[in-house]
Amino acid sequence: MNNTWGDMAQYDPVTWNWVIAVYLFMAGLSAGSVLIGIGMRWYSRDKQTESPILKAAALIGPVAISLGLACLVFDLTKPFHFWLILVNYNFQSVMAIGVAALLAYSPLGIAYALIVLKDDLPKWKLGFLSGIADLLMPFRKIIEVLLFILAIGVGAYTGFLISAMNAYPMLNTAVLPALFLVSGLSAGAAANLVVALLMFNTDTHSPEVAKMHRIELPVIIAEMMFLVMLFSALYFTGGSAATALASLNTGIWASVFWIGVVGIGFAIPLLAMLLPSSARHSKALMLTVACCSLTGVLALRHFIVYAGQSYIS
Amino acid sequence: MNKRYVMVHDENKCIGCQACNIACRSENNVPEGVTRLQVRVEGPFGEAPHLHFKYNRVSCQQCENAPCVSVCPTGAAYIDENGLVSIHNDKCVGCQYCVAACPYKVRFINPITKAADKCNFCKDTRLARGEQPACVTACPTDALYFGDANDSQSEVALLLNTKITYQEKTHLGTKPRVYRIPTKRGGIES
Repeated sequence: MNNTWGDMAQYDPVTWNWVIAVYLFMAGLSAGSVLIGIGMRWYSRDKQTESPILKAAALIGPVAISLGLACLVFDLTKPFHFWLILVNYNFQSVMAIGVAALLAYSPLGIAYALIVLKDDLPKWKLGFLSGIADLLMPFRKIIEVLLFILAIGVGAYTGFLISAMNAYPMLNTAVLPALFLVSGLSAGAAANLVVALLMFNTDTHSPEVAKMHRIELPVIIAEMMFLVMLFSALYFTGGSAATALASLNTGIWASVFWIGVVGIGFAIPLLAMLLPSSARHSKALMLTVACCSLTGVLALRHFIVYAGQSYIS
Repeated sequence: MNKRYVMVHDENKCIGCQACNIACRSENNVPEGVTRLQVRVEGPFGEAPHLHFKYNRVSCQQCENAPCVSVCPTGAAYIDENGLVSIHNDKCVGCQYCVAACPYKVRFINPITKAADKCNFCKDTRLARGEQPACVTACPTDALYFGDANDSQSEVALLLNTKITYQEKTHLGTKPRVYRIPTKRGGIES
């Protein structure tokens, strides 16, 4: 039977595309990086010097979220009306809650960056901001605590954002926010390392780097566990949910998952841990492994966004 | 008591002629390339000579528990006093959360207004004038019924009381207000 009813283009189930996947990645990266930077500062005995990891986190936090928000705004069909979303709130909507969190998180992230990078500002010809940094200094503790709490919110809300849509069985699961939060931590750790090594000349043998490395294994294991939970939940639900498991063995997103997420994101960093200590601590290897983790997390966001929307219940 | 507008689509009477689709386009100035209403002709099903088609109306289901409304961050998507799922064009930023969240995939971005758009039972035009929606009026086989189900004497209320009907994707808890009378030869599937 020929189609007599007209254009089907608008019925493509994939509504949100790679721009949203990149935003989800950037938000997770920003939150993960900030959580690790602040967490490590609290855990460290030396509260006086700003460690290269904390400086990296303070820089990545606001930069990544700004790039992510730029993606988000230009993905709107009415980008110049984006301010409407800042003045109208429907608190039933996860997106509205996220916007409210981001509205506080983004400026606090910038404020915290000014505090932590105060001594570096003149080097970047941003000395005129030192005055603001001095004014903010007395509020460091409260900014730090608020930013940490909001970072947990930002990291997890991206998962809640897409899990709120009950039409898509792969997205409509409780593990998605947790998966996004831990994979954000893994991206944040990797990005902190890259920036600390390249911009703040940290030593590959420094205790902070070693400490950050120690969380890598549990984070990867948690990520793998959440993925197993996600797929087994689909399997045991059966019906249209179980058909979404086809995304693991058919089509382009199966390749993205197995090559990008599992191969590059999990296998390479895990295998690198088996190398002799001398090789493991070379700058080149550390950077390569960190870039693999980042690629894996970016691939995971793409897989979830596309494969998740492709199967509708 | 408020109205509870519902639509009933008799899939036995429907012939898939698309008169409703065309009437909707013209009444609501639906731009080229997008649609508020399609009747998809699916099939044939069954063994020859007992073949039959399914006429599947694809349009806003006017959910009582509408996912598009609960996800909308700005409140641009709302349910009006008569239960019609509606859109404030000037509040919509085009985030497409509602388009993604709709389990029936009937929301779209209007290429002219850039806001989310969909069937609203001709609320602003024909309904406002006390007439029936354009699709109901144009249907040559009278396969469509529309009215207030809260009025026990209305045609739709009598129909819902006497005919076997089904709604699509009720397992998602959306409580759609488009009812379908299944083809007698076909099974009942949503």
